[in-house]
Amino acid sequence: MALLIKIAWRNIWRNPSRSLTIILAVVVGLFAGIYASSISFGFVDQRFENSIERFISHIQLHNPDFVHDGEGFQLVANPGEKINWLDTSSAVKTFSVRTRVNGIVATAGVTNGAMIVGIDPAQEKATTRFDEWLKEGSYFEGVKRNPILIGSELAEKMHAGINSRIVLTFMDLEGNITSASFKVAGIFKTIDKPFDESNVFVLRSDLVKYLAVPEAVHEIAVLLKDPAQVKAVGDAMKLRWPETSARTWYEISPELQYLQEMTGQMLLVFIFIILLGLGFGILNTMLMSVFERTREIGMLMAIGMNKRRVFGLVLLETIFLSFTGAIGGMVTGVTLVKLSASKGIDFASVAGDSLADYGYGSLVYPSVSTGFVLGITAMVFVIAVLAAIYPALKALGLVPAEAVRKE
Amino acid sequence: MPIISTQGLTKIYNERIVPVTALNNVSLDFDAGEFTAIIGPSGSGKTTLLNMLGGLDKPTSGNITINGLEITGMKENRLMDYRLRNIGFVFQSYNLIPVLTAIENVSFIMLLQKQPRNVIEKRAIELLEQVGLSDRIHSRPGELSGGQQQRVAVARALASKPNYVLADEPTANLDTKSAFTLLDIMEKLNHEEKITLIFSTHDQRVIERARRVITLVDGTVTTDIPVEKQQV
Ligand SMILES: Nc1ncnc2c1ncn2[C@@H]1O[C@H](COP(=O)(O)OP(=O)(O)OP(=O)(O)O)[C@@H](O)[C@H]1O
Ligand SMILES: [Mg+2]
Repeated sequence: MALLIKIAWRNIWRNPSRSLTIILAVVVGLFAGIYASSISFGFVDQRFENSIERFISHIQLHNPDFVHDGEGFQLVANPGEKINWLDTSSAVKTFSVRTRVNGIVATAGVTNGAMIVGIDPAQEKATTRFDEWLKEGSYFEGVKRNPILIGSELAEKMHAGINSRIVLTFMDLEGNITSASFKVAGIFKTIDKPFDESNVFVLRSDLVKYLAVPEAVHEIAVLLKDPAQVKAVGDAMKLRWPETSARTWYEISPELQYLQEMTGQMLLVFIFIILLGLGFGILNTMLMSVFERTREIGMLMAIGMNKRRVFGLVLLETIFLSFTGAIGGMVTGVTLVKLSASKGIDFASVAGDSLADYGYGSLVYPSVSTGFVLGITAMVFVIAVLAAIYPALKALGLVPAEAVRKE
Repeated sequence: MPIISTQGLTKIYNERIVPVTALNNVSLDFDAGEFTAIIGPSGSGKTTLLNMLGGLDKPTSGNITINGLEITGMKENRLMDYRLRNIGFVFQSYNLIPVLTAIENVSFIMLLQKQPRNVIEKRAIELLEQVGLSDRIHSRPGELSGGQQQRVAVARALASKPNYVLADEPTANLDTKSAFTLLDIMEKLNHEEKITLIFSTHDQRVIERARRVITLVDGTVTTDIPVEKQQV
């Protein structure tokens, strides 16, 4: 009933300072809750994007045994046929063919174990934008023979710089120990320190020369045009190549998906706790307002406003009060999230490099999803209804004959 | 047949603790078109009686029949609806919804009755005209004088087309001039629109206008004088 809405809305402005106080509390509470959540979401998104787009890709193909043992002789079967298929498949955006062997990296005096990854620079660049991690030197350029990229952590450990000689020692696929000399073309620094410490990158064409199997392929990382197609394409590959392991990102790293879901749920709980606290404030405000209006409500019941409508009035007032604050908090919160989302927030000054130890970059882009905001809206509604019940029951308990007596 | 009839109406407050007999065995009949004052000293039971007649409170014993219908045993929700459709109220104060304008206050009761919108607006304007407030229809109670507010209350009470209107000391908070204006309006409505009006008062000015005067003392009717005899 339109008039009831009008009365309810005007009633909350009868005591503007009291209403504004609680509205402001809701605005601030939700604003802070949303903004803090958006930063957490930003970290999760970053983790997600980094892990999938920069490291894992959407689907990886391996020899099924290689997944478990990682032995050099456990090669992807028929790589040529697979590469052909990937080249022509319309669902595939790019892919990177890799050859991987465990080996020892040595400079004069320092040796270290490392994973030696042979890549095609152009493919890798298109698939994981690996070139963007480069901190010094160049992406395989400037060194004519056997260029190598090493991580900054490893470079420091090994006292190696651009153009330093590095000797790689590993077993070829026939079991013979092989050594070869490489020259540092570039030093990379990803957001993952352990990764930087234990991986070196060389040209696949160089690496296979030393492996005794020229077509040795251990891994093909595939990036799809549409991330939503991951399951469908993964299933198709499994059917097509039963002898090969085709794993989607969520099979490789299931925790990533849980991380996203869990974070959303945890943050909603966090906001619910904020709202619960605010709910008591709202309840108190409504209770005061009902007590102040004993006579008026008694009069309304005397002239024929039934209990359902009285209850409805108090409920509407509570909802208006709550949502005025909630909308204020959500609008300011989401606005600030959108504003800071384009530039991101750099935590380097507070957290320094320590975030990288956990695989996080220091630059975070706050984000909130529509679903999250809708979840908050639903919770505000629930809290408002809960906060309205007690004051509304108090209002219903009024006896009109008493309420309308003078004094 | 009287529109309101009470038989042996008794109200005892605080029955268990310190019983106060506010009404003692009151039997009265009210006819359609009456303009009746209930008078008596403070504490004599005027408000108690009006609350009973309005279905706002239940008697301890006795009963009330309105248009042949017993309201004493009605369930609260039904009684509420009955009040909405049959009885108009004017209280001494706190009559109006402060956040609504005069016309909205008058319309409110008709909206509760679910009358069609076009009827509501027309009637609300008409009623406010009758109480001499056609130039204040968009004022809120806070912007009106006490007398004007009571006139809006009278218009509101009539909006529901009640069988009768009950007014508990409607002039108590008004200055003489406003009191007379309100009385003139009530009298006119009674006369021209045949509205049945029953009101309580302390106010000698008001008593003189009544056509029937019932006196209560300690919850008992001591005199009940119709207008003809009064004038003699
Ligand atoms: N809720 C109550 N509980 C106990 N006693 C009450 C209650 N309401 C009224 N009374 C008592 O009942 C008696 C009648 O009260 P009532 O209000 O009907 O008198 P009244 O004639 O309207 O008085 P006034 O002229 O002061 O308005 C008084 O003695 C009063 O104290
Ligand atoms: Mg009284």
